Amino acid sequence: MKNLLVLFASSLLFISCQSSSETKPLNLDDYTWKDIKAEGQAQEMTMMMWKGDPKINAYMQQYIKPKLLKKHNINLTIVDGQGNYIVQMLMAELQAGANTSEIDLMWINGETFYQLRQIDALFGPWTSKLPNASNIDFENPFIGKDFQQAIDGYEMPWGNVQMTLIYNQDKIQQPPQTRAELLSFVKEHPGKFTWNNHFTGLTFMKALLMNIAGGAEVLKGEFNEDLYAKYSDELWIYLNQLKPYLWRQGEVFPENVAQMHQLFANGELLFTMSNNDAEVDNKVEEGLFKKSSRAYVPEFGSIQNSHYLGISKLSKKKLSAMLVVNELISEENQLEKMKPSVWGDGTVLQVSKLDSAFQKKFNSIAQRHYAPPREDIQQKALPELAPEYMIRLAEDFKKNLID
Amino acid sequence: MISIKQIISWKTALFILMLLPMMLGLGYGLLYSFGVIGLLNTGFTTEHWSDVLLNFNFWKSLLFSFGIGLISVGISLVIALWMVVNWHHDLRKGKLSTLIYLPLAFPATVVGFFIFQSFSKTGFWSRLLYQTGVISEIEDFPSLVNDAYGIGIILASTFIITPFLSLILKGIFENEDVTRFQHIAKSLGASQRQVLVKITLPILLQKAKTSLLLFLIFVIGSYEIPLLLGRQNPKMITVAIVDKAQRFNLNDIPQAYAMAILYVSFLIFLFFGFQRLAKLKTKAYA
Amino acid sequence: MRKQIGQSIVGFIIIFPIVFLLILSFGKQWFYPHILPNLWQTSQWESLFSPSFQLTKSLGLSLLLSISVGLVSTVTAFYFSKKIAYSYNKTTWLSLAYVPYLLSPIIFAVLIHFYFLKTGLSGSLLGVIIAQFLICFPFGIIICSTFWTAQIQSLENLSSTLGGSSTQTLKRVLLPLGKSTLLLCFFQCFLISWFEYGLTHFIGAGKVKTLTVSVFSYVNEANPFLAALAGFLLILPSVLLLLANKKLIFKTSNKRPDYE
Repeated sequence: MKNLLVLFASSLLFISCQSSSETKPLNLDDYTWKDIKAEGQAQEMTMMMWKGDPKINAYMQQYIKPKLLKKHNINLTIVDGQGNYIVQMLMAELQAGANTSEIDLMWINGETFYQLRQIDALFGPWTSKLPNASNIDFENPFIGKDFQQAIDGYEMPWGNVQMTLIYNQDKIQQPPQTRAELLSFVKEHPGKFTWNNHFTGLTFMKALLMNIAGGAEVLKGEFNEDLYAKYSDELWIYLNQLKPYLWRQGEVFPENVAQMHQLFANGELLFTMSNNDAEVDNKVEEGLFKKSSRAYVPEFGSIQNSHYLGISKLSKKKLSAMLVVNELISEENQLEKMKPSVWGDGTVLQVSKLDSAFQKKFNSIAQRHYAPPREDIQQKALPELAPEYMIRLAEDFKKNLID
Repeated sequence: MISIKQIISWKTALFILMLLPMMLGLGYGLLYSFGVIGLLNTGFTTEHWSDVLLNFNFWKSLLFSFGIGLISVGISLVIALWMVVNWHHDLRKGKLSTLIYLPLAFPATVVGFFIFQSFSKTGFWSRLLYQTGVISEIEDFPSLVNDAYGIGIILASTFIITPFLSLILKGIFENEDVTRFQHIAKSLGASQRQVLVKITLPILLQKAKTSLLLFLIFVIGSYEIPLLLGRQNPKMITVAIVDKAQRFNLNDIPQAYAMAILYVSFLIFLFFGFQRLAKLKTKAYA
Repeated sequence: MRKQIGQSIVGFIIIFPIVFLLILSFGKQWFYPHILPNLWQTSQWESLFSPSFQLTKSLGLSLLLSISVGLVSTVTAFYFSKKIAYSYNKTTWLSLAYVPYLLSPIIFAVLIHFYFLKTGLSGSLLGVIIAQFLICFPFGIIICSTFWTAQIQSLENLSSTLGGSSTQTLKRVLLPLGKSTLLLCFFQCFLISWFEYGLTHFIGAGKVKTLTVSVFSYVNEANPFLAALAGFLLILPSVLLLLANKKLIFKTSNKRPDYE
């Protein structure tokens, strides 16, 4: 018995002494793009991204993945994960002193970027090394800043979207434009409106928060506890007014946006929402949404933001990841993903900088049928708020509405 | 050739394979929850433990899981007993004897998925009731999944447990030769009801005790089913722990480990406590 | 009469899910309030035959994983259950063998995740095999422990008295006698691994895409049709096994079967 206890104790000691990573950190100054291309070739790589949308998955699996294999002999494995899941995972690896990461490339933005930088789990800066990066419109505040943070070369913009609400035009002729109109709408149609308990729902709540604060300017810049406390109190009051008229009396919220889309498709909800303004076109084309579906942005505005790609610090495939990102931000692939039939994701490239052939292609992309064109909703675009707002809203939403 | 037996005894090997991983896991959890290790931790502290122990939602999840377990096992027991007592012959031979084995082929994941697709507001039964005019719109169908009482979870758990339990009870019925005792009792003048209450049920229940406990623990520890059919409030304890460890505030992770340790302690206490109690009771009769 | 109705209801409850899954797996669109999918397709089933289809890969992976876990667990459990059965602290060891089952596999995974990360086993098939083994093996011990009765022990002694080596005793005496226990143990361990989701998803970091992991990823993608297909594949082996020989999955009574 004694031997066993000794064994146990020594194992515990083993945990407490954590060895640090032994690999030499990658110094990009030593590499030219040619070097990166040469060394990044012919590798296995893992990318973690949100996999809740079949169209995005199809774009990645059937268009991008074979391209990468053919062009660079890179075999990309895609796994599901987003937000806090990614952060916990990388944190666990850092804690365990792992010398490699399970994730090389990740699809992130906002509060995830913030937390990853907090725990120093991101590799960087690296974005300036990529030749295609020169086409990116970093000056655009919606692209060059992620949730009001400077991206500093630690993540690469990938796409740009604006949030819309989606409704059924056959059932609703005049969708609500203000908070007051929304309240009367849910009272008239109880049980037909809700939002999800995750990223999209929180984005919706942020727009409401800015509306309550009297505009995006008020909450601009760094997180302000007093402003947050003041306006979030009002927000919870408003949401609690909506609560009894929400789907399932506001006692349960859909866990993910895919579920919400299903409920909308089935007619259980009269509204759904999406971070991607072109989503309604995707879904109608897929056959999930009826042709009478339309997207719109209410008068109080909706958030426009970009999403990004990051490389993990412990990754052993950083160079390959850079190659993949360079592909993902190329004109060809950005054009493809902007098509409403593929994904409808806005580009982060400055179209005017591209050669005329591509400029023409970008400008003549098939129009959306069911969503308003981006120019129309641009003036109602709200910037993202500092990441702490999202983190606090997520916690307080649980406290004030669910518990 | 040196055999492994000469290097380590079988007991050590068994210890390493069976118990060490768990002890290591619990050890890690203890250290993390007390703040000794962990990226965002700053040193030994009891604040995470006090946060968990004083957190109403933790106890609510634990009790909710326990309650759902009791109800699921209870319902399964009633159905299984009824089947074994009344249909004993058909369970031995014939179609039912084969059919009853089929649900054992269903993993929790598939049962959860199926219950969701059939009992949700836009599920199979809702559509059937709509088509037959019983309900006139989606809203009228009751909330059976993702609901406050865990009805979906109970349905799924009962679906999984009942066939299992029936087979166990059937086995006991045959092993203990209950039919013989039933005949003896009847020949001594006992009524149907007396036979049931004084002979059949006690024998079956007595021998099935441990299995019932194991099923209870199974429901409390189930993860996939509440993931598909449960909701944020009230939350089953396994989902609560995993959420704390993965989805929410990074600073709450030590709490997740504290919760995990409390959960394991609760189950160990439940299991071994029950065994002790059972032993005492049987000793009293000896 | 009442019995007929009752048993038919039970029969329906059991058969319905299987039929439902099968029907749903051929669906393409299932708008409310249609009872059956309003649009159909066979393309998903057809894709199963192409090796590049994710679900086909998952099927192969699950089979490989569960068979490995089943084999290793059974062999190890058989060996150790004998040691326990003849040992002094038999009941203590057996009670302790229940403990890994007491933690639900997902909580076990959360607690030992650190060690898998440190040893680089996280996200690998080997890591998942080891993690599942740690859960199945104690369970296997409990199943195999019923085999080692006094009768078996005396047969073993008889065999060695008659001059048989331990290998011969194993091959000629124990294995033939233990066939049904070994098979039961294998299938039980196989099933535990086959059905596992939480631990597999956690330790495998989403990279080890078994059938159960696929079901969840299709559910999250709001594709109930592929999820139903994955679900149907999940129940298929067991259903086939059960129809072939029920006793392989579950031993109900110790009585010699004179009817079945």
